[in-house]
Amino acid sequence: MLSRDQVRAGLGAAMSGSISALDAADGLCRACVGLLEVDGASISLTLDGTNRGTFGASGDLSRRLDALQFTFGEGPCLDAVRQGRPVLVPDLDDPAETRWPAFTEAVLQAGVSAVFALPVQLASQRVGALDLYRSRPGPLELPALTGGLLAAELAALPLLDVLAAHREVIGRGERDSWTQLASLERVEVYQATGMIIGALGVDPSEALVRLRAHAFARDMTAGELAWEIVERRLSLTSSDWQDPPDRSHRPGLEPSP
Amino acid sequence: MTRTENEVTRAFVSLASGLASGEDVVEMLASLTAECARLLDIASAGLLLADQRGVLHVMAASSERTRELEVFQVQREEGPCRDSYLDGAAVSVPDLTQMIERWPQFAPHALAVGFASVHALPLRLREARLGTLGLFGTEVGCLNQEDLSLGQALADVASVALVQDRSSTDQAALNAQLYGALSSRVVLEQAKGVLAQYGGLEMQDAFDVLRRYARDHNLRLTQLAHAVVTRQLPSQLLLDHARTGATPPT
Repeated sequence: MLSRDQVRAGLGAAMSGSISALDAADGLCRACVGLLEVDGASISLTLDGTNRGTFGASGDLSRRLDALQFTFGEGPCLDAVRQGRPVLVPDLDDPAETRWPAFTEAVLQAGVSAVFALPVQLASQRVGALDLYRSRPGPLELPALTGGLLAAELAALPLLDVLAAHREVIGRGERDSWTQLASLERVEVYQATGMIIGALGVDPSEALVRLRAHAFARDMTAGELAWEIVERRLSLTSSDWQDPPDRSHRPGLEPSP
Repeated sequence: MTRTENEVTRAFVSLASGLASGEDVVEMLASLTAECARLLDIASAGLLLADQRGVLHVMAASSERTRELEVFQVQREEGPCRDSYLDGAAVSVPDLTQMIERWPQFAPHALAVGFASVHALPLRLREARLGTLGLFGTEVGCLNQEDLSLGQALADVASVALVQDRSSTDQAALNAQLYGALSSRVVLEQAKGVLAQYGGLEMQDAFDVLRRYARDHNLRLTQLAHAVVTRQLPSQLLLDHARTGATPPT
């Protein structure tokens, strides 16, 4: 197993140079396989309505396994999102494991013995999960779990991009993934996000998407714009904040029932 | 600084009973930082927790003013709290003006808000390093030994509070609990924002509105903040309660 710094650097580099949010998500999943001693990984988006489905995967099998959770309406990923904490299943074949009968049977048949689902958050809203699959049973070792939690944090970035897709906001670029994430983990960003929720009546993740889109449009960082909002130098009631999001198209999501 | 033995006892009893009655960790830590500011010869206290990356996040502070929170937060890159966390030891800075070279971002930031000195005390539980308690003064000088000991005792209470399930000593469980505590703070900041925008309030006042409603309705602060942010509970209800002290009949 690599050191935490190596894992951190490897995950951070996994999305650089990707041409789309989907490409970035796939890259992150492949990096998990390379760095965390698992055999497959996938990222799903679980927001309601059209925003549901498998979003990124390390390969075809992982993509198919992830999609099964939406087909059956059950699985560790959905539970991880619902409960807001990691759901770790070291042995799916354990007779005591009865939580997801249909999903478990299908996954075991595909040769997977262990699944580890880690929730992905965007502006305090749980929007999806990172799933790690392993063919051999057994617990996820602490370094791999820590690495998985890091990857789940980074997974917020492509999800943020796909939610903002209609605004053509591209968050990648010269700044690395960890720097991008740090620019959003700020007191003033959290508060400004809340103020956007209060002014526009939108969900937390949508509020963050709008904050980021407006920051890009003004050539500012999210933190700089957040200060303008928090200190009330910028009004949230003007028409350019009203812009109703176009929810008709989410590229790349597997259709969900 | 005058404080009676009685006051100190009362602070510990109140923190302990909050814990025993299942009070929200975020709220408990907010009370703890408020007690620090009241009992110790300092102006402001802030508590920082580390996530699984070792990055520090503001968890609670005696002031909810955004600019003061920012002073704590800027230490994710550098500063006495960060050093205290990394070394697991106390760091004393009697005069911030002497430290501009060492912390070119943090020191000017803290001075600009009016702070002159800092003492950072580590939050530890056995081998695990959890974060730091930062004690900020508006005057140059060192805290006396008695204040430092009391501050460290309060920091130790915080460490224990953070690891609620004492039986689960493994690092993975600890990570999960810290992760939960950090998420709570995010949602709390958002809820302050919602109320500040909706009611035209300052952040400190928005926090007071939230805390008042939570206490009067026997709700956990995080639970309430979540309901506000997801608009399950109308902000107007909280604002009305703060104004009149009563919830209008529904």
